[in-house]
Amino acid sequence: MDTSSPAAFVNGALLRRYIGQKVRAVVQVIRSDIGSVTGKSTDDQQIVVKGSPPPSLTTFLEVIGIAESDNTIRADVWTNFGDNFDAGNYNELCKLANGEFRHMFI
Amino acid sequence: MENTVTQDGIASVLSLDSSSAQPQIIVQVVDLKPVGNRYTFNANDGKMKIKAMLPATLSSEIVSGKIQNLGLIRLVDYTPNDIPGKSGEKYLLVTKCEAVASALDSEVKSEVKASTGITLKPKQEFVAKSASQIINEQRGNAAPAARMAMTRRVHPLVSLNPYQGSWTIKVRVTNKGVLRTYKNARGEGCVFNVELTDEEGTQIQATMFNAAAKKFYDTFQKGKVYYISRGQLKLANKQFKTVQNDYEMTLNEYSEVEEAGSEEMFIPETKFNFVPIDELGPYVNQKELVDVIGVVQSVSPTMSIRRKSDNEMIPKRDIVLADETKKTVVVSLWNDLATDLGQELLDMADKYPVIAIKSLKVGDFQGVSLSTISKSNVVVNPDLPEAAKLKSWYDSEGKEMSMSAIGNGMSPSANNGSRSMYSDRVCLSHFTTNPSLGEDKPVFFSTRAYISFIKPDQAMWYRGCKTCNKKVTEAMDSGYWCEGCQKKDEECSLRYIMAVKVSDSTGEAWFSAFNDEAEKMIGCTADELNKLKAEEGEGNEFQTKLKEATWSSHLFRVSVSQQEYNSEKRQRITVRGVAPVDFAAETRLLLQDISKNNKSSQ
Repeated sequence: MDTSSPAAFVNGALLRRYIGQKVRAVVQVIRSDIGSVTGKSTDDQQIVVKGSPPPSLTTFLEVIGIAESDNTIRADVWTNFGDNFDAGNYNELCKLANGEFRHMFI
Repeated sequence: MENTVTQDGIASVLSLDSSSAQPQIIVQVVDLKPVGNRYTFNANDGKMKIKAMLPATLSSEIVSGKIQNLGLIRLVDYTPNDIPGKSGEKYLLVTKCEAVASALDSEVKSEVKASTGITLKPKQEFVAKSASQIINEQRGNAAPAARMAMTRRVHPLVSLNPYQGSWTIKVRVTNKGVLRTYKNARGEGCVFNVELTDEEGTQIQATMFNAAAKKFYDTFQKGKVYYISRGQLKLANKQFKTVQNDYEMTLNEYSEVEEAGSEEMFIPETKFNFVPIDELGPYVNQKELVDVIGVVQSVSPTMSIRRKSDNEMIPKRDIVLADETKKTVVVSLWNDLATDLGQELLDMADKYPVIAIKSLKVGDFQGVSLSTISKSNVVVNPDLPEAAKLKSWYDSEGKEMSMSAIGNGMSPSANNGSRSMYSDRVCLSHFTTNPSLGEDKPVFFSTRAYISFIKPDQAMWYRGCKTCNKKVTEAMDSGYWCEGCQKKDEECSLRYIMAVKVSDSTGEAWFSAFNDEAEKMIGCTADELNKLKAEEGEGNEFQTKLKEATWSSHLFRVSVSQQEYNSEKRQRITVRGVAPVDFAAETRLLLQDISKNNKSSQ
């Protein structure tokens, strides 16, 4: 995995811009299986996260990994973000970090 | 004789031709009244009366009482003129005259034999009467109201000031207070006030005390229009300002109040300045009153609340209003509004009436709440364009919509007053760049900042009375004496009074904090902290406690005022409330700021 570049903050709509690149996203866990977690992005789109999820999951989960397609991430880092998380704020952050304040992030 | 009118004086004046010299005649002044800054009267010679006008230069003679109604004057210089529009009738334009006698008992009428003439003794006492007294006296032979109105010049409320002499205003009583009795060092009395609005929408408050109050209380009725003159203007007391006017008016017994009955003139109905429900946030706990308009969604039954100040039970009713911002708000109606109006609204609740309310207080119960006060004014289904728009919106969309209460937008918090942590939000730079904030009266703000320094060796607390919290003094033997409670106690409680330095990304400032707020910042009571300070030994827990409090962030509600230190004015910032930082809410605020900055820089 390419560890030199920073991970871009993405939601469902922004994921397709970074296919093959390192991304990070917070998703709301909908379903968890062996080897993958299906989650809802902060802009209400479905994202599948592949890899080895931790044994117990909270409602919100941050994953960092490579974007494989416009709705899949292969994650190496999984972090539980608890049950209280403001998805709206995070979504705005994604938009700003990839928009006019891009220069501060990438 | 100087004490009589010139017989046939007026007839002789009128029959003059341009060549003959003007005789100086003595006439009696009757129906003396002011028109603008001049006075008109009828000149009476016992047989005839003729209208006459005195120049403005002589007004002072009337005001001082030299020329009096029913008194005698000698016309020295005058001109008979035709009354415009009334051919044949003349009036005398007097340019020079002299007072001859003070007010006689009555109008001169020549009934007695011509030979002896009439000798009327003027009143023995020379009573200096003010013009207003004269006017009030001759109210007995007052001209009908219609004629008065035509000669009256109405002044706009906005032009009134304490230095202008005579004025007349035409106003509607838009609010009438109750007649209250009071007792102060000077005795007892009664008072009431009215809110007056004129044609231009300007408003002013008029107050009446004692005799004037009794005289005019029944005269003034809400909604009716009156001519008022001879009131006194003075600068309004900013503390009690209820309407937008630099001045306020006082009416006394000599003031004139006359109902404007027969004429039709447009006086605007109550002027509203509506605040949409979703914009009520900044008004929470502020002195400024608001006006709202909304659809009544629900009406509660009447509740009885015990008033803390006097234990009296007062009725209250809560109604829920909704408007096009798709937000709802609870309005608490008190007293008569709860019982009478509340019942009216309950009866028509299924029709979802629109109501407009003027002068509501904004509180922070459940986020944002509205409350009526004595001067609140409610109009059901008002004839306003806003009302029509609301009704049609509600009928088409609003009825089905599920709306959220305005207070809910903010995160819930157990702390009292945490709602006001979001109103008047500023950065610390606002204090440092505005050193004279709070010059007249304290200004309130909310801010988010880190405690950056607590000086360990400052006087952090004072000895307070366990009952009333006031500072106690050490008693001679042992224990502490409280001046306020007038008793001694063996123990006292330590209460915080400390200065803390705070910082944020824009600057730093010093805040003063008292007990309750400081406790939240330090995390323990002053007594507990004192114990730690007194501890000896290795681990200085006291310093640790202070260290832990440092670089913690909080939401602060502060008041800023000016204090004098050695004849120098210094800014003093006092903490009124402390609340934990709600990160989600703060993020939303920051996002709002970012988008606002973008809009302004575009």
